[in-house]
Amino acid sequence: MTIAPKYRPFLTLYYREIRRFLKVLVQTIAAPIVSSSLYLLIFGVSLGGRINLESGLSYLAFLIPGLVMMSVLNNAFQNASSSVVSGKFGGDLEDWRTSPLTPRAILWALSFGGLTRGFIVGFITFMVGQIFYLNNHGSWLAVAHPGYLLIFLIIGGLSFSMFGVSVAFWSKTFDHLSAVGSFVILPLIYLGGVFFSLEGLHPFWQTLSKANPLLYFINGVRYGILGVSDVPVETSLIVSGGALIIFYFIALRILNTAEYTRW
Amino acid sequence: MDVSGKSPLKIEKLVKKYGNFTAVNEVSFEMKPGEIFGLLGPNGAGKTSIISCLVTLQEPTSGHCEIFGYDPKVNPEYTKVLTGFVPQELINHGFFSIEEILVFHSGFYQRWHNKERIHYLLKRLGLWEHKDKKVKALSGGMKRRLLIAKALVHEPKLLLLDEPTAGVDIELRASLWDFVQELSQDGMSILLTTHYLEEAESLCDRVGILQNGNLRTVGPTRELIEKLTERKVHVFFDGVCNEEISSPYLRNREDNQAEFVIPHGVGVGDLIADIQCNVHKILDIKIEEGSLEEAFVHVLGEHQ
Repeated sequence: MTIAPKYRPFLTLYYREIRRFLKVLVQTIAAPIVSSSLYLLIFGVSLGGRINLESGLSYLAFLIPGLVMMSVLNNAFQNASSSVVSGKFGGDLEDWRTSPLTPRAILWALSFGGLTRGFIVGFITFMVGQIFYLNNHGSWLAVAHPGYLLIFLIIGGLSFSMFGVSVAFWSKTFDHLSAVGSFVILPLIYLGGVFFSLEGLHPFWQTLSKANPLLYFINGVRYGILGVSDVPVETSLIVSGGALIIFYFIALRILNTAEYTRW
Repeated sequence: MDVSGKSPLKIEKLVKKYGNFTAVNEVSFEMKPGEIFGLLGPNGAGKTSIISCLVTLQEPTSGHCEIFGYDPKVNPEYTKVLTGFVPQELINHGFFSIEEILVFHSGFYQRWHNKERIHYLLKRLGLWEHKDKKVKALSGGMKRRLLIAKALVHEPKLLLLDEPTAGVDIELRASLWDFVQELSQDGMSILLTTHYLEEAESLCDRVGILQNGNLRTVGPTRELIEKLTERKVHVFFDGVCNEEISSPYLRNREDNQAEFVIPHGVGVGDLIADIQCNVHKILDIKIEEGSLEEAFVHVLGEHQ
């Protein structure tokens, strides 16, 4: 199959992104798996036995989809943002800018790069969760709606990669980048329903949680795996899809107007 | 893309401002196909700003640029494929080996399966035995050569060299300039900036001299030197010459020698005839031609 020359810069950068995170496998793949495994062990297995959900699900089963999506979102964001930031330091951004790579090609290549890493870490997290589930329940956790699962993982991974690209291009220092990670992403993910269900919350906190877009990303994946969700899957789909479109246009605007000169 | 006969580079009234500071002020010049054009000037003259506008790293404040007839702002997809760019600052690609960097760079320029060209450049630029090393393991000179290899990986028609030999030792500089000349002979048009004026003089077909963002002069290197400098003629006499020498070109006189400074229009024969000296008493004549450096200093001095 011959690839048209105009797609080659995009595909090359996408391939380069994959090569980049595979070169530092321990940092990019192994470390997130360790943290996910610890979450599963401590929350899912150790504390989960004492938590009863109204839906009748085991807490471990409830936790697995949340952790899978958390892995995808975190890794997509980190992969895309670290690529841009290291490019700002090393001067790679100047190379990208002076080559036939368009801002749109850069955005999609970095986004698919982030999505790929997110998928790998998310899949391994799911498999580790399956082992814990098998050990606790004596059976594998069946995936209820694989199509929905795939759609929400793709939307989440792409959205957070684009968010990572935007933040990294906007950042003037490392502090800016880490501030967004600590004060925006971490609270949104943790309060987005990874560890808890809306059903047990006070109505005020339920309303507040519904303003968090990540609730819909995470519940979308939960619906995909378990077939249950705190919000209707159609709502999750609309909010997540809308978020992806917004992330895309913000990122594209930033890339079109950004300085590609080094820090 | 057929670009034969088209001007490789045309700049018209280019202005680049950073806030209130004008880095480039209404600069206009045009390159001819296949020539080596030197853009010279002291630090801060605006050389890098001009090149940055050509490669879209900076957007011009006003004015117009064309690379083989295409505006980099309007048709970057064409100008970027036609141009190779060697930046002034080194790039550190962290994770990747030299060969991987060139493969990726080739792909960015729409070229896959380009091993033959990559291997040729690695060998030609003395990087072959270092192809599996990372950038941080290379010496400064090797890093410069890598930048040049990257710029040439897609066989551009116009090469922009921004201080390609900064911090490079004499031997390597000479070999790089040899390579530049070879590229020029193969038909590539080359725009370069350098602080080594002696090398620019021997290499560049034409030069432009920038100062404070203004293009002070532009023209064929030899013509500029002739126009802006003078020739020194040292006449050595056999023994002490007591004869009176009367010439408007006489600069200095000692017992057995005299120094004359003549404009380029005046021949040495005319000078000798003019001073009416007994030719048999002349032991030797030494002629010092003007240099690009003198022309450069002359131009900058005129506008200070």
